[in-house]
Amino acid sequence: MTTIIDCLGVGKSFKGKVAVRDLSFQIEKGEVVALLGPNGAGKSTTIQMLLGLLEPSTGRITISGQNSKSKAVRERIGVMLQEVRLLDTVTVKEILQLVRGYYHRPLSMEQLSKLTGLDETSLNMRTEKLSGGQKQRVSFALALAGNPDILFLDEPTTGMDATARKTFWKSIRELAERGTTIIFTTHYLEEVEYAATRVLMINHGELIEDESPDMMKKKLVIQRISFLTDEVYRPETFQGLSVSDIRLDGKKVTILTGDADHLLKVLYELDLEISEVTVSRGTLEEAYSQLTDSREVS
Amino acid sequence: MKILWNECRLEALRVFRNRYFIFWSLIMPIVFYVFYTKVMVQDVGDPKLWEKHLLMSMAAFSVMGSSIMALGLRLVHERNQGWTMYLKTTPVSGVVYFIAKMVGQTAVHVFTIIVIFVSGGLVNGISMPAIEWITAGIWILLGAVPFLALGGLIGTMMKSDTASGVSNLIYLALAVLGGMWMPMEFMPKLLQQAAQWIPSYQYGAGAWSIIRGETPSLGGILVLIAYTFVFMILSIQRRRMQEAI
Repeated sequence: MTTIIDCLGVGKSFKGKVAVRDLSFQIEKGEVVALLGPNGAGKSTTIQMLLGLLEPSTGRITISGQNSKSKAVRERIGVMLQEVRLLDTVTVKEILQLVRGYYHRPLSMEQLSKLTGLDETSLNMRTEKLSGGQKQRVSFALALAGNPDILFLDEPTTGMDATARKTFWKSIRELAERGTTIIFTTHYLEEVEYAATRVLMINHGELIEDESPDMMKKKLVIQRISFLTDEVYRPETFQGLSVSDIRLDGKKVTILTGDADHLLKVLYELDLEISEVTVSRGTLEEAYSQLTDSREVS
Repeated sequence: MKILWNECRLEALRVFRNRYFIFWSLIMPIVFYVFYTKVMVQDVGDPKLWEKHLLMSMAAFSVMGSSIMALGLRLVHERNQGWTMYLKTTPVSGVVYFIAKMVGQTAVHVFTIIVIFVSGGLVNGISMPAIEWITAGIWILLGAVPFLALGGLIGTMMKSDTASGVSNLIYLALAVLGGMWMPMEFMPKLLQQAAQWIPSYQYGAGAWSIIRGETPSLGGILVLIAYTFVFMILSIQRRRMQEAI
């Protein structure tokens, strides 16, 4: 195994406020790493430091043993950042040709359009006329333009529709099979399950988990049970159950739990007057609050 | 080199695609010109000389405007849109990006000068020796360097709105104080003396000398060079300060 990214004791503060604290991890060649954490946890700051866009206040970061600001590293990385909007008054083809020209061994236009699903019509469109999802595809194409060994993708599927997301993750898998190292952030657990080989979780600027997706899934899968009731809610009713959060909205009660099967059984055994029971999968944000809350307690 | 060429070509294309550019840099100066030489003709002595003089003023006015406004605002816009940040993750150097913007803009200026010279020349049937047309054109092209540097300085501003307001104000003030809309002789005495130190006046004055068969004054050239350095140093300093965060 070859270490691609080496992050050692990295910290960053902005005007005395700590955004990232003592972050240490190594990423090996070919790993697909999901960087997770609640909003404001320090994910974007971490990515920007990895890319050399922000200077760490403490610690050091190297990519294949080199400074991430070096030209050699820039030749090898591809980047999709949330903060970046496409250059306007140019066509998709023009912007791709321009950026391809920055690299020594760029991917061909054919390969780019195949990997990103950009067809001839979109290629000839002006960037400002594109839909949100199409813009993301173009950003993805820009990230791939230089035929990178390392991809940094910050919430890459935001704004994409279901089809676009599917094409996107299929291409990511294809690239991973070719040995591309990938670091991404996302709000969707499905994407982590589908693509990641490792999960790093950050909260309050600290690395709190470093696990395989299977292990993480157990911690991150959360279920949401909701029902209607006329009864007045009593908190002690649910005491002793694996409940992470209860929300009340008029007659509607929503319970977040790690074990929906058990909780449902209890609910029926209690013989409460409830109707319209639904069970659904919770979002990653809901799972974060469970995971981080339980940590703070323990 | 190839990167620089691609970048310049695309920059120039983007400027031409901008409707505001076409309107403010091409249509407005020509409309002004026609208005002041055909409709609102002032008593300025030799009408033929005045027509030539004003044509130079308008070409300089246009090129100065797009140097300050187009370049500066585009730099601010691209930074706010995060494009500048994206470029930092690619192997292309910031210097190439910056030079390309300047050169691309200059290519657009060649076109602007030709369009304004040809249309103004045809409107009033201006005849000048070829050498005067060419040297005046080259003067307007190269004399725009301090204004490109000023555009670069405006490009370091944080907000698009502020940058747009400030650059509009500077642009109009420079045009009026530099005698581009009205000959200097009609201005108050005090202003005429101060004008020697105003870059837009020295910029226009060079072109006005050329069409009178004279060479631009050395003092004027020095003033323009001095402003170029001042604007460049200020913008390099501001960029350094911003990157230090």
